[in-house]
Amino acid sequence: MITLQQLSKGLLCNKTQLYGEEKRSRSLRGALKNPLGQYLLFGLILVVLQLVSSLGSEFGIRIIPVSFMTALGSTLIYSMVSIGFCLLLGYSGLASLGTAGFIGIGSYCAFFCFQEWGLPYIVAIMMTLAISIIIGVFVGFISLRIEGIYLAIITLGLSEILRYALQTIRATVNIDLSNIKLFGATIDKEVVFYLIVAVLLILIWITNNLIKSPTGRAMLAMKNSTSAAQAYGISLMKYRLLAFVLSTVYAALAGIMYMMYLRSVSTSMSTLFRLTTSLNILGAVIIGGAKSIWGVLAGTFIVYGLDSMFLQSIPLFNDNPTLITLFTGILIILVVMFYPGGLQQLFTLIRRKVIALAAKRREARYGRDV
Amino acid sequence: MTLFDNLASTMLGSLSSISVTVLATLAVTLIFKTSYTTNFAQGIISAMGSYTVMELLVYSGIPIYYGVFIGVVVGVLIGLFIDLAIFRRGRYVNAIGKQIITMGMVSILVGAIPLIFRTAGLESVNLMPVVELNRYITFSENITIQLNTVIYFAVAAVIVAIVFLLLNFSKWGLGVRSTASNEQVAGMLGINTTFITAVSWGIAGALGAISATMYAGFSQMSNSLFMTTIQVNAFLACILGGFATFYGPVLGAVMIPLISAFIGFVAIYVPGLSAWREVLVYAVLLLLILWKPQGLFGPRAVKKV
Repeated sequence: MITLQQLSKGLLCNKTQLYGEEKRSRSLRGALKNPLGQYLLFGLILVVLQLVSSLGSEFGIRIIPVSFMTALGSTLIYSMVSIGFCLLLGYSGLASLGTAGFIGIGSYCAFFCFQEWGLPYIVAIMMTLAISIIIGVFVGFISLRIEGIYLAIITLGLSEILRYALQTIRATVNIDLSNIKLFGATIDKEVVFYLIVAVLLILIWITNNLIKSPTGRAMLAMKNSTSAAQAYGISLMKYRLLAFVLSTVYAALAGIMYMMYLRSVSTSMSTLFRLTTSLNILGAVIIGGAKSIWGVLAGTFIVYGLDSMFLQSIPLFNDNPTLITLFTGILIILVVMFYPGGLQQLFTLIRRKVIALAAKRREARYGRDV
Repeated sequence: MTLFDNLASTMLGSLSSISVTVLATLAVTLIFKTSYTTNFAQGIISAMGSYTVMELLVYSGIPIYYGVFIGVVVGVLIGLFIDLAIFRRGRYVNAIGKQIITMGMVSILVGAIPLIFRTAGLESVNLMPVVELNRYITFSENITIQLNTVIYFAVAAVIVAIVFLLLNFSKWGLGVRSTASNEQVAGMLGINTTFITAVSWGIAGALGAISATMYAGFSQMSNSLFMTTIQVNAFLACILGGFATFYGPVLGAVMIPLISAFIGFVAIYVPGLSAWREVLVYAVLLLLILWKPQGLFGPRAVKKV
């Protein structure tokens, strides 16, 4: 089994520690070349957006509408799930369709802990983590016995069990957080948004370090060939369990955030805990490129954010709301047909083209280097 | 009501559900065998067919007996489109890519159905059953069965029989079986695998349209995703029966509604159980699959390295 030390080594070590000291410049540009700097900048932009939005609404100016921020918040929540799923699919090669059920676990845990039992939030989070780890380990053990497409369908069955169970326990859940304080602040939508950004950044950072650590390499080896990986001494059980536990925990955390941010889920009516969500997350990860964090974030944005954040304000799409779903579908198919590496591949391609173009222009202006 | 009466009527009640699940499962199996992918769009293609039937019935007054043929044509066309226009054109389409494509197809059709069909805007529409709802066949005092259910079952049985005859005795069936065992080698031996696969997609679309039209007869077309439950059951049935054979998934598809009906029967005597019915059904299925991951029927596949 995984010792705590190994796990922390996996979680905390980064590229620099693995491959010797990298030359780092202290300038801003140097900081931005560092992944951590990029993620921090991303978080900073998100926080500034929220600040501008709330300042604007305080003075009665609609710079960034509240609906836009809500859409952005939900997209970020789905990004957490996608990043967890990216570890599972992109790095470990395990296909799962149980994502929706795992989000459901998080949401319902948050509901029962906050609303029904009035537990402190730290206990709520601990409990959610415990439950999702148990489920993750369970699915991990299943994955040792069943693989590939079979595993996807089994997890789909598990997700259905979870959904029906949650629906039987309580068909609609509403949460009221007005009497709970987080670090002394009342939990309103703005605070939850900052919380979402913080949790997302932490998850991204953990994932970034994990995939560049021996753990990530082992997962990749496992994805490419289980037999070869085993021959090199990689324990399938250890890494499959770890992959499933991590992706379940990410999804459950997203579930908690969803409950705190949107406050209400109708399990019997909404598609949140259904196959649609699992498929959308799968789609987001594939569109993004499965192995790159920025790609996955972009994929999630296309599947979830594009529609709710921008297109809904265009009259054509506002009149025919399903047109957006149609275009998302076409986009997904085109990406899979022509760019199997996802948006990541597309970006790399464009970047290469731009660099080549710049070189050509330089050559035309200054002549060829001899 | 005696114990036997209850058992018999719950079991007979599951016949319509069995018919629908069997047809959907056969479609999923055909596609899995020839294209090596799980078709997530099966449910939505079926829905497309049944919406066509509905639209013709409501706005053109074409009765269901004729409408269902047009619905089948729509199903076939979408199936052919996915295979010929998308799978064969993509430059780097692999097994998981195909899955994602079918998923994208779900998005496209979910978006398209409300734009195409006026009936999709209705709150929830019920496809008129073939015969009036209140006609029953009576076996004994307490055991009755809707005439509709019998017709559904007969139709499904005939269709399944035809597909199996085709699979076992026609040239296309031979092609499907050889494509299923190895597409590349089948192609080398002169089998037109493109044609075989396309026909399979077409048949799957047709089966889907029929199954959705049936399902809409005793359930409700609340929105374009109304076939999702059947589709999930069909996937599970395939795994339950094992993809190794064609009859395995079909038997699996018969078993799932029966298990559900049996739990419903037990729930008559155990108070509070009926709310947990679905959870129990899926839990039983999960345990069965974990017990025999290769499927209950058919040979055990050996993993080669």
